[in-house]
Amino acid sequence: MDIAELKAELEQYHAACFGWALSCCARDRAEAEEVLQTVYLKILEGKARFRGEASLKTWLFAVIRKTAATEYRRNLLRKLRVAVSSEQVSKREPAGGEVDAAFDRSEEQVRFRLALQHLPARQREALHLVFYEDLSLREAADVMGVSIGSARQHYERGKKRLREVLERTEVDYGISWRGKENPGAV
Amino acid sequence: MELVGEEKKIQALFSELRLADQVAAPSFAGVWNRAQLRTRTRLSPLNFSLAAAAFAVFVAVVALVLWSNSRQQTSPTNHTAAVTPAMPSVTPPLTTVPTQPKGISDEEQRRAARNLLAARFAARQRAELLAARRAEIRDATAISSWQSPTATLLSSQNDALLNSLPQLNESAKELKSFLPNK
Repeated sequence: MDIAELKAELEQYHAACFGWALSCCARDRAEAEEVLQTVYLKILEGKARFRGEASLKTWLFAVIRKTAATEYRRNLLRKLRVAVSSEQVSKREPAGGEVDAAFDRSEEQVRFRLALQHLPARQREALHLVFYEDLSLREAADVMGVSIGSARQHYERGKKRLREVLERTEVDYGISWRGKENPGAV
Repeated sequence: MELVGEEKKIQALFSELRLADQVAAPSFAGVWNRAQLRTRTRLSPLNFSLAAAAFAVFVAVVALVLWSNSRQQTSPTNHTAAVTPAMPSVTPPLTTVPTQPKGISDEEQRRAARNLLAARFAARQRAELLAARRAEIRDATAISSWQSPTATLLSSQNDALLNSLPQLNESAKELKSFLPNK
């Protein structure tokens, strides 16, 4: 696959890639953009090469995930080096203030994003790949670099944990998750 | 994958999230172009360093060539210049090789340069030979005129008599005067 052909394919998956990068970067838009740019750079320089062993989308997501992890480690080291305050170090931790920035989000969406941030990374990744990117569990496992059994376990636990977190926040907000899901039961 | 109940709810939430992200996503062209720009900027320092290294090597080579040339030209001239005043009659003047007029061929110039070098070499050899001979003469003179520091202790008043031979026409009486008295 030559670079022009690859560029066209990448353009097709660009929005999905950005969504995945956002998920890998704890919803940090600037960092996600940086990661995506680095991924394209890797492709341009030939450091990341598609060999057709998996689908392009799966391969691309795996590259994004790896790049995001590298960038995260690099940023963390940089922050530790300059000995910034603990508040700055834990910038990636979920914070309510950063969630509602540019978009007109519903209250439920805000709670959902917060709940996602409370999930362990693996579980969040599994849910994102299946529900957001419409990948199968096998493809999700390929992207995450784990076995399909492990991916399924992350997926199931993620769903359970997400439900728990949403229920807890609903209590805080005075809204019932189960009631919304199944209004007849209330 | 067939979604049921809770999964459909999660799916709906993710769909909403996806729509919001799509709105906020940067343009592909922008990200791609910036990546391409980074590729170029990443390459340029490498090119610059390569060019700098090549330039440094070039300068070093040129300096070495110039130095070796100047050494070849200056060292025989200096040597002969140092020796020349001591033997004006032996050393041929270095300017005897005529300067080549402009317009002569490269081969002739090369030949002239070779001749000049040969003449310089010969002059240098002659100068060294002469210097060696002069040193030998000086040493021989010094040896021949050497006197022992204890030679005066061996000298006496009768040295002239002892060192001289009697004449054939000298009388015996006169000879007796040299004999010790009994």
